[in-house]
Amino acid sequence: MTKILRFILIVLLISSTPALAKTKAEVWRYEGPRVGVDISRFLLPAMSSGNRSGWELQADIPYKGNFFPTFETGMQWFDDKQATFHYKNNGAYGRLGIDMNIAKFESLKDHDFMFVGFRYGYAIFNQQTDSIKSSNYWGSRVTSLDRHPMNAHWGELVFGMKGELLPNFFFGWSLRAKFPLVVTNDQNIKPYIIPGLGKTGNGTPFDFSINVSYRFPIFKTKSIPKPISIGGAKHPGLNEDIDPNSQDFGGSGSGGGYNRGR
Amino acid sequence: MRFGLIGFLLLLLSLESCTDENRCYDSTDTLMISSFSVSGFKNINSMRIRGVNRNDVGNILFSDSTSSLTKRVPLPLSLSADSTGFIFTVNGKIDTLFVRHKMIISFISEYCGFAPAYTMSGYRRSKGIDSVRITDAKVNSQSIVKTTNDQNIKIYFNSSTH
Repeated sequence: MTKILRFILIVLLISSTPALAKTKAEVWRYEGPRVGVDISRFLLPAMSSGNRSGWELQADIPYKGNFFPTFETGMQWFDDKQATFHYKNNGAYGRLGIDMNIAKFESLKDHDFMFVGFRYGYAIFNQQTDSIKSSNYWGSRVTSLDRHPMNAHWGELVFGMKGELLPNFFFGWSLRAKFPLVVTNDQNIKPYIIPGLGKTGNGTPFDFSINVSYRFPIFKTKSIPKPISIGGAKHPGLNEDIDPNSQDFGGSGSGGGYNRGR
Repeated sequence: MRFGLIGFLLLLLSLESCTDENRCYDSTDTLMISSFSVSGFKNINSMRIRGVNRNDVGNILFSDSTSSLTKRVPLPLSLSADSTGFIFTVNGKIDTLFVRHKMIISFISEYCGFAPAYTMSGYRRSKGIDSVRITDAKVNSQSIVKTTNDQNIKIYFNSSTH
């Protein structure tokens, strides 16, 4: 595991150096659907209790430059052998949502972005518990709970970054706050893990994903998407040159303002 | 942007590695909180409780010889039968109570595991028990945290025989 992490880190560091990121003269901006995997799902066995494994595919497509309708699907297997019970939970899930770029593309070739987004998630799974051991004054008992098909709906708020480290190859991460909405009721055991949602024990489950994806460059354009303005008063200093002597900025005439000239 | 891409990722990985708390902080003991009194405000001078058919030495559930108006005792219910019987020796007189119940095994948490949860549906008493009141039919791992004046069952012994 350490070797894998070290390898990933080295690849990332090398590929993110300015020399490699430098591109030729800007002519076209290529866009297209991205398809990738969430490599954090492969790290789960080392980072989680129980024997947890799975895979996840992620895809998005640009819409009007700054919006990325997204679809994610995957499967998860969880096998948790504790001292007094043996719990299994397996299933598949899907998420639909959209990411919105909140950064500014600096050039035609710049596809790095920071985003916020949301997801609606749905999972279909089953859980089963064996070897449940109980004991008290009256004796001991070992029992099992049969396999029970279940489903769950939830919502997610997402924040993350994605960058084009090599031409058409993207790397990114996202941090997710997840909100369970409806989960099938089981009078014996409320599932403490749900495929695609994660552990449900402590309030709002937080999760993250690490995305590696490939963009199919099938659209091309010569325009850079304009940054999205999210309401509020416009600060004059952000989009135009400022006269440091202007009284609008409380300047004393001795260079109190700033100039974001290009 | 790219520095942030990698820096935050490493931060996430380090945070994720310390999120799993593998300790149990919840109660997993399921006990029926029982309160005992003798009708007519008579004191209980001595009390001993054991299970029906549990006659071995060491099978005493509760033993107390201090005098008081009421006693409050948490009692375990059977894991396999649909009723649980107790033998009370109060002020030297013996009585028997059977409590009927349904049991499910209920999940507490990943690190605490499961605990039985009961719903009491009735009882059968010997003549020395004046009355029985089931005040909370649900007996689960949270019953143990009931306040001093709260209980699952109230048992009143007959003052003329005790």
